[in-house]
Amino acid sequence: MESIQLTINGKQLAGHRGQTILEVAGENNIDIPHLCYHPRISKTGACRICLVRVNGTMLKTACTEPVIADMDVVTEDAEISQIRTGLLEMLLSEGCHNCLYCEWNGECELQRLCQKYDVQEPSGVFKNRERTVDTESSNGLRRNENRCILCGRCVKACGEIQMQGVWNFTGRGSSTTLTSDMFAKLGDSSCVMCGTCVQLCPTGALSFQTVLGRGQAWDLKKETSVCIYCGVGCQIDFYTNKEGQLVKAIGNENGPNEGHLCVKGRFGFDFVQSDKRLTKPLIKKNGKFEEASWDEALDLVSSKLTEIKSKSGPDSIMAFSSAKCTNEENYLMQKFMRAVIGTNNVDHCARL
Amino acid sequence: MLILRDLEVQSGKNMLDIQTLRGVAEEMNIPESDVAGFVGFYTMFNTKPRAKFLIRVCKSGPCHVMGSTTIFDAIQKHLGIGIGEGTKDGMFFLEKCECLGVCSVAPAMMINYDIHGNLTPKRIVSILNSYKKKKPSLMEDCGKEVEGKTCVINEPRQTKRLLENIGVVDPLRIDSYIGKGGYESLKKSLAMDPSKIIDTVKDSGLRGRGGAGFPAGMKWSFVGKGPVQKYVICNADEGEPGTFKDRILMEENPHLLIEGMAICGFAIDASLGYIYVRGEYRRSIERLQVAIDQARKKGILGKNILGSKFSFDVIIKEGGGAYVCGEETSLINSMEGKRGYPRFKPPFPGGAGFNNLPSNVNNVETLMSVPLIIEKGAGWYKSVGQPNCSGTKLYCLSGKLNRTGMVELPMGATLKEIINVYGKGLPKGRKFKFAQVGGSAGGILGKDLMDLPLDIDQPMKQGVTLGSGVVLVCDEGTCSVDFLLQILSFFEHESCGQCVPCRVGTAHLHHLARKFASRTAVPGDIDLMVEKATVMKKASLCALGQSPIMPITTMLKYFRKEFLQHCDPKHKCPQCDRSLSRYYAGGGH
Repeated sequence: MESIQLTINGKQLAGHRGQTILEVAGENNIDIPHLCYHPRISKTGACRICLVRVNGTMLKTACTEPVIADMDVVTEDAEISQIRTGLLEMLLSEGCHNCLYCEWNGECELQRLCQKYDVQEPSGVFKNRERTVDTESSNGLRRNENRCILCGRCVKACGEIQMQGVWNFTGRGSSTTLTSDMFAKLGDSSCVMCGTCVQLCPTGALSFQTVLGRGQAWDLKKETSVCIYCGVGCQIDFYTNKEGQLVKAIGNENGPNEGHLCVKGRFGFDFVQSDKRLTKPLIKKNGKFEEASWDEALDLVSSKLTEIKSKSGPDSIMAFSSAKCTNEENYLMQKFMRAVIGTNNVDHCARL
Repeated sequence: MLILRDLEVQSGKNMLDIQTLRGVAEEMNIPESDVAGFVGFYTMFNTKPRAKFLIRVCKSGPCHVMGSTTIFDAIQKHLGIGIGEGTKDGMFFLEKCECLGVCSVAPAMMINYDIHGNLTPKRIVSILNSYKKKKPSLMEDCGKEVEGKTCVINEPRQTKRLLENIGVVDPLRIDSYIGKGGYESLKKSLAMDPSKIIDTVKDSGLRGRGGAGFPAGMKWSFVGKGPVQKYVICNADEGEPGTFKDRILMEENPHLLIEGMAICGFAIDASLGYIYVRGEYRRSIERLQVAIDQARKKGILGKNILGSKFSFDVIIKEGGGAYVCGEETSLINSMEGKRGYPRFKPPFPGGAGFNNLPSNVNNVETLMSVPLIIEKGAGWYKSVGQPNCSGTKLYCLSGKLNRTGMVELPMGATLKEIINVYGKGLPKGRKFKFAQVGGSAGGILGKDLMDLPLDIDQPMKQGVTLGSGVVLVCDEGTCSVDFLLQILSFFEHESCGQCVPCRVGTAHLHHLARKFASRTAVPGDIDLMVEKATVMKKASLCALGQSPIMPITTMLKYFRKEFLQHCDPKHKCPQCDRSLSRYYAGGGH
């Protein structure tokens, strides 16, 4: 690929044809503030926060402007700061951004920028327009559009990544709002609850039902794991709060899923800490399950399997093991079936 | 757009109900949210029932100056409905709207798709009564006063080039056009080398007549090369308040446009042309369609046109009521059936336009000038006008003048000449206060700039722009605050809402203008207004958001005192009062 030499903030850098200023800056750890840009979706150029100065004169949005040879980029100066401050003020006054009551407090990209540019609470000169709050209709997602900055990430997340097209903008100008399907409530829409829109939302406008009342963002501890459901092997960042409760699952962008999750990976972790999980073997006696010792339970299973094998042959037995077990446990299961029972009847739920 | 328009007419209530729209989404195999997004963007559509006849009264600059408020009053009196309300019998529903493109006969309104101008309270009653027996249809039934040729000022001192055949050629008969030498330039072009055509257009100095003034020949030369489909797109989404030139041209001489597009198509190797006409211009759409059909029959459009190896056809696309679609990339998005959001540039349409293929977008007036340049040569074209802005310009005169309408003058006519010679001065000996040049996105010119040549470059130096050629004259009775309120409410209404500075900024500016109009502002709000508009100018994605600074600063340059007066709650201003009580009552903004 053709290499392009350019200067950003006085530093000589190399990019390649087709890259934008923001991409080259990102690769070189130069932070250019942005809100509508996200690497997983197509470019929008709508928030205008990433305006940078090119060749000492023009202001260009770094997220859309392709790099060209000998370009001289300055990512911050007095005028740029002033514009960013003005834009952030506009965004704050357009919505109702009360961080005290927001479950994304501490993780919000708008909040981070407002702190950086010292943008205070709006003066109250301009009244914000009340928009849709729909926090109940969906089992998985919450929508509070009063915190929305209409960046369009959710629209593109749903349309370009999940290919479901639930979200779009409707209305126009200052009356622009989001719509799910055709003015439907989220719970009644064709949403498949992959949660990608929430993961990409830069504010708390879209959120998960699971996070509510379960700790602030900065209280959560992150651990990376692999999804236990199917064979794709999505990497997931699981967040736990101080009480050790699992709070949310966010797709890890380094995994083969590139950050994406389906409804199972996103929400199917409640079993982990469920009080309905078995902790001791149970044996059904007289139609009722009764607690038993491991020896008793294993003896019963082995005697029953031996009985079936001798009566009906080894191929009348099949084992189906679970992705919730470790690889070693799954290996042992097939070994057991082949060597001990004498059948090749093995399968696994990850072969979906 | 056409499907939805048909469905809306069929509903009998001027509405598109959710069930119907779901059907559209299913049939077209697109997400429901896309249809909801589309319908929500274009103001001509509504998902709520309106009435058999939808009355849209224009409140943009020219109509407002000529007394739109009295029209709302008359309708209120006659039908008992305010804005956003319908009559109980389901016959009429009232809405306010922005420019209908008949500004020389302001104030105007549109009933379904019929436009009526020169309204007076008395005329309103007879027009409304005439609808009681009518059936809604898409066929235009406009008043005679809005017909193209009647909107041209009859004054021999003009330099008639584009206007030469207006009123002479029968727009509905191709033979009449051919009889006047029509399509000869196309024949001549087809025998030329395409690069020579581009060179001739470059040499003529023709600059875009839509408002930006970009050199047309240069634009053509930027269109991508190679064996891919390319497009000629005609921008006929004339929405700048005060502009009506393209409408007249399309209504009265549609073949000239087809010829211009075909020549452009040949020059840039595009075999398909699209004309994006705003949905309000039914008569233009009908006449263009007749012209296209006739041209196809004559072999002027279609395969191997005029016996050459070049194939070219033209298709009409309709707008749905969105000013921002006059921006070329919004227009392309709209053509693709999307919300009319402008695209960021680069890529420019010449590289990746319609369907992401090379496209050349030109204004109607620009394309129509091309056959004349090919016929008579670049030297002839340059023989009038200014050194860097050659040729003639169509100026649209409206407002407080004895004579309003369109005139064709060499580039660089002065306000003084336009007002005194062609407008015949102000009526009843009233005094000139200011003129708005370039439309809402243009600026205000006071008495000091009466001798400023109105070409593309010189007004820029004074912080104004010629834009599409609007000259709206206001007399001393016009309140500058009230006038600015109309401009800023227009921008809020027409902002697409995609980029932050424009979406929020236009709302804030409108809010501040309302504060002045209602005399609740403080002097600091003047600076706040300029501050907001400055951020918009620097940061907005397209020209819409970059524009409001111009009317604001030029208005303040002359009338800051009036704005300060409006900070006093005791200050009396009947004009502002009337606007606030008429336009903001009922269904609200």
